[in-house]
Amino acid sequence: MLDNLTAAREQMAFSLGFHIVFAVFGMGLPWLLLFIEDRYIRTGDRVWYEMARRWCRAFAVLFAVGAVSGTVLSFEFGLLWPTFMERYGGVFGLAFTLEAFAFFLEAIFLGLYLYGWDRLPPRAHWWTGVPVAVSGMASALFVTTANAWMNTPVGFVEENGVVVSAEPIAPLIAPAAPHQVVHMILAALLCTGFGVAAVYAVAMLRSPVKRRDPYHRRGLALGLVLGGVVAPLQVIVGDWAVRAVADQQPVKMAALEALPRTGSDAPLRVGPIEVPGALSVLLHGRRDAVVTGLDAVPPADRPPVGITHYSFDLMVVIGFGLLALAVWALWRWRRGSLFAGRWFLRAVAASGPAAVVALIAGWIVTEVGRQPWIVHLRLRTADAVSDQPGLYWYFYATLVVYAVLSVSLVTLLRRLARSARSESRVLEPVP
Amino acid sequence: MSAADGILLVIGAGVVAYAVLGGADFGGGVWDLLAAGPRREAQRRLIATTMGPVWEANHVWLVFVLIGLFSGFPLAFGALARMLAVPLAVALLGIVLRGAAFVFRQYGGALGAGGGAASGAAGWGRVFAIASTLAPASLGYCAGAVAIGRVGSAFSVAAGALALACCAFLAAVFLCREALVRGEPAAAGDFRRRALGSAVVAGGLAALALPVLAHEAPGLASNLLAGAPALMALSAAGGTGSHRGARVAPVPDGARVRGTRRGCAGGRLGRGPVPGAGAAGVDRRAGGRARADAPGDARRTGGRVRRHAAVAGSAVRDLQPWRVGPTRSSVIRTMTRRSRTIAAR
Repeated sequence: MLDNLTAAREQMAFSLGFHIVFAVFGMGLPWLLLFIEDRYIRTGDRVWYEMARRWCRAFAVLFAVGAVSGTVLSFEFGLLWPTFMERYGGVFGLAFTLEAFAFFLEAIFLGLYLYGWDRLPPRAHWWTGVPVAVSGMASALFVTTANAWMNTPVGFVEENGVVVSAEPIAPLIAPAAPHQVVHMILAALLCTGFGVAAVYAVAMLRSPVKRRDPYHRRGLALGLVLGGVVAPLQVIVGDWAVRAVADQQPVKMAALEALPRTGSDAPLRVGPIEVPGALSVLLHGRRDAVVTGLDAVPPADRPPVGITHYSFDLMVVIGFGLLALAVWALWRWRRGSLFAGRWFLRAVAASGPAAVVALIAGWIVTEVGRQPWIVHLRLRTADAVSDQPGLYWYFYATLVVYAVLSVSLVTLLRRLARSARSESRVLEPVP
Repeated sequence: MSAADGILLVIGAGVVAYAVLGGADFGGGVWDLLAAGPRREAQRRLIATTMGPVWEANHVWLVFVLIGLFSGFPLAFGALARMLAVPLAVALLGIVLRGAAFVFRQYGGALGAGGGAASGAAGWGRVFAIASTLAPASLGYCAGAVAIGRVGSAFSVAAGALALACCAFLAAVFLCREALVRGEPAAAGDFRRRALGSAVVAGGLAALALPVLAHEAPGLASNLLAGAPALMALSAAGGTGSHRGARVAPVPDGARVRGTRRGCAGGRLGRGPVPGAGAAGVDRRAGGRARADAPGDARRTGGRVRRHAAVAGSAVRDLQPWRVGPTRSSVIRTMTRRSRTIAAR
């Protein structure tokens, strides 16, 4: 049987990994919906209307699963990590309090948005979508600052393991917050863009007649434009994030790059390839710059290197892959053959899942890379875990419930897509 | 007032809002589970459409309370999470399954052209209903355990049952009103009777829980009696008052009132002794079946209503419509008018 630490970590990893996939679409899709509906209101073109209605249905389902899996997380903080909450809940709590307000607004306006179709005047309905989009982003900002605080805890005074005073805005001033927040928001837009494009690419591959259908062409182009604009920005922000991590959490950086020894002329390893001195150059611009290695701290304070390093490489490779796809799309568009090539459509179809894989890999990097600490250099994960006997049962139950939810969700989304395919008429209002 | 009091006030307000609004949501699931009679599907449809726009917004209160607790009172949050790990996990399971099942049913069902989709929607409906029952019962259990400071007591179980009954009552009241607004007097009648029944159950459970509390936590019980008699009296008066008000119209009192009764509770029109006097207008789906078992149903309904009357220790004068409070009487007037219109058609 699993020990409590392993069970709790696996459960947390699993629930966060599950939640984040839905959360990113909950953040990205409203912006896309706003754009699509705005086009409809301005042009009166029913193709835009249909597209908005169909994505609206998918969004409702994704949001619901995101919301319940988010509620699960707020329970799990207490059920799995009571010591962590007891000691630091008051310090980084503000981020979650603000997140709750944002979520509140989002849920209220989403209700208006979903039920307001054809009931509100078009422009008023469009405006009910604006708070959904804004508060989705705000939620991401607050939750990510809480995580950033765990990576770079600041804003409190601790004596003998007891917090004696804390600044209310502690999580918002965490040094890791800026790059983590921007990286996360861009990741959400990236996943949404390529995710939407992938849906249409799959449809076009299945039935070539759709490559000439304006609905599918617009959908694919829309997703590609969003993903293609964000992809280069994400690479730049990723570089900023890596430099910040090297500065703030050098041991995590060593694990990302699987760098055993501290020293100058640090090599960059990508898979089997090793480029001497490249890491020093990338991080500090000079070959002779010293980069901290894993040997800087005793083995008990080192994160697991294998999974951190490979997840990091996977994320970076996919990030550059998406960038290349964006360039390819731009080139095809200039030639006027965006929807023609089978191999191009296959690449777009793969880009959606790939973006989500990169997203999860990125969270593995930041979470596993912080180990063995739950709060960097302050509290060990092993000391924070609950002493409740049989914690693994919660983990198994979570696995089963989430497996059932995932299978049902995929079935449902496929049915939504299928009904969209078979219907030529405009969809009925949601009952 | 210190900062701690302020946060406590906010958390308390969140708990109350969650109990009233989220509780009504859970209650909707309970009535989905207990949907019965010829208008079963109409009841489920009403529950789904009523809760549709709000189902997730109400549960934000819970997130609100949890987050307020762990940022304001982290030590208490840790202790509670340790003590109540199992019931909280059960509540969580219920909340997750009901939230997901509701939307799966809604969107799966809406598109269910084939048989597979329709049966899938029905399956999610069951999950939704059972999960909605599980969650308030275990949250009530938690509240009971917090009140007396330990788990595994009879009082916690009673508190769980009481919470469930209160949720069911709230939902039935909301749904009754909603049915009237939507012009479904038949469903309004159904939920009115359900509200009455669950009010009696809730009152009974509350009365039973008091001696249990006195036995298991004498200190808390005496504090309750000494410190909060006014609140308890208010609660009892509110419960009895709403029951008296609600009970008024439909109790039979001879031939004249019998006629009134059919008119008042428009919902019963379809089941009344006059065959087909508008059943089709009230509820086309259930019309045929409703007429078929009309006499038996009418007898059963009458018996239940009389039992309600007996529980409250009623007097005949209470049965007269002009005794009714303003809100209730206007509701009844609306119902009467509507059912007359329907009958006239």
